[in-house]
Amino acid sequence: MVDRFRSKPLELPSAEHRVDRIDLAFYDLDHSGSTFEARVFIGAGRGLKRDAGTDHPAYAGSLFIFGHGACSGEEGHCDVPEERDPFDFRLPHHLEPGVQILTVTEAVKRLVEAGKDKATVDVFVHGMEGEALKALSFSQLRLLTYA
Amino acid sequence: MTVSSPTPTRAPVRLRHRRSARRLSAGQLADLREAVTLAQKIGDDRGYQYWAGIHGLPLPEYCQHRSPLFLPWHRAYLYFFEKALQDRVPGVTLPWWDWTQHQPQGLPPVYARARVGGRKNPLASSPIQPAGRRNPKESKTWRQFGPQSWLPQSAEVKTVLDNRDYFTFQNQLENIHNGVHGSVGGTMGYIETSAYDPLFWAHHCMIDRLWYLWQLDHPGAPLPAPYLDVALPPFPMTVRQTLDITALGYDYAAATAAVPGTSRG
Repeated sequence: MVDRFRSKPLELPSAEHRVDRIDLAFYDLDHSGSTFEARVFIGAGRGLKRDAGTDHPAYAGSLFIFGHGACSGEEGHCDVPEERDPFDFRLPHHLEPGVQILTVTEAVKRLVEAGKDKATVDVFVHGMEGEALKALSFSQLRLLTYA
Repeated sequence: MTVSSPTPTRAPVRLRHRRSARRLSAGQLADLREAVTLAQKIGDDRGYQYWAGIHGLPLPEYCQHRSPLFLPWHRAYLYFFEKALQDRVPGVTLPWWDWTQHQPQGLPPVYARARVGGRKNPLASSPIQPAGRRNPKESKTWRQFGPQSWLPQSAEVKTVLDNRDYFTFQNQLENIHNGVHGSVGGTMGYIETSAYDPLFWAHHCMIDRLWYLWQLDHPGAPLPAPYLDVALPPFPMTVRQTLDITALGYDYAAATAAVPGTSRG
């Protein structure tokens, strides 16, 4: 779990192609802890501060994760099964990580129009009292472009 | 036939209207408070504590999040909870909290005031049954307001409503829903306990209302077929049965006016 994340540079869509929509997808996003905001910036460069707000020029949007809180069951209750039987019709485990998508079309278009072809993604985690919180965990980040 | 859109094709018969929490008449507000107060006094499966517990604690945690079932499951939840309140006070309906209209003041006053008329306001806080507590000392609900920026603005809601496909709409609506839970904080800030706060129902009524408004604007954009016959435990209802709110007996129209048609009798 981390309270901030900086990605490796992601390739941006070409300025030559028409783009209708651009999404950032966070895969296997954990929600087992407290509720938090993941404040996302794209192409901010170095020196971005933790208290950067929604008025920052590189602000792209926020994901809000509704936290499950501590486990209230007995030992093993909150252990997510690693494999799922294809004939298991029960609903998924309540802590199964999910995909959360942030639409970032305008933020990316601004960068492309400024001549950028790559950009890093910065994420700062803010807890319910605005505090830094080590609550962010995901397996992969993808930039998805739709035309 | 599309199954995704509301189908108000017949003259409604005794549809009940869910109203903004800001626009409740004195009588409607009194009925709501009375219904919640009476439900709090019942310790079995007709009572407030039972219904609040279905969402999270005590286990099992039935609620659906991060899933296409998020909206149908919570629609069913509100429907059955509202029925339980109507068993106490016939005709009472859940109001919705439009978070975009209460900034920067925050909560609707009817949910914020600790006392009304010299008595505890049943919409301001609720006891939490022992099996519903995250820790033994959390015997009643509490709120700890967090960042104001977590409450969505009208422009964000419009962006969400402009989506054309269900998955994107649901994903973005759930995201702003999450922010509201965190903004209220305290008991509302955790999945396991949030439904004990009376404000939970007004918050989710707003979410349900936005889904309905989206359905009106996007007829023929149903959930994919594999979801339609999925059950929504513990409720005896499938996704398909949640899609038309008029079939569930309620509406969100801000106002209605009717005159007789050409036929009589």
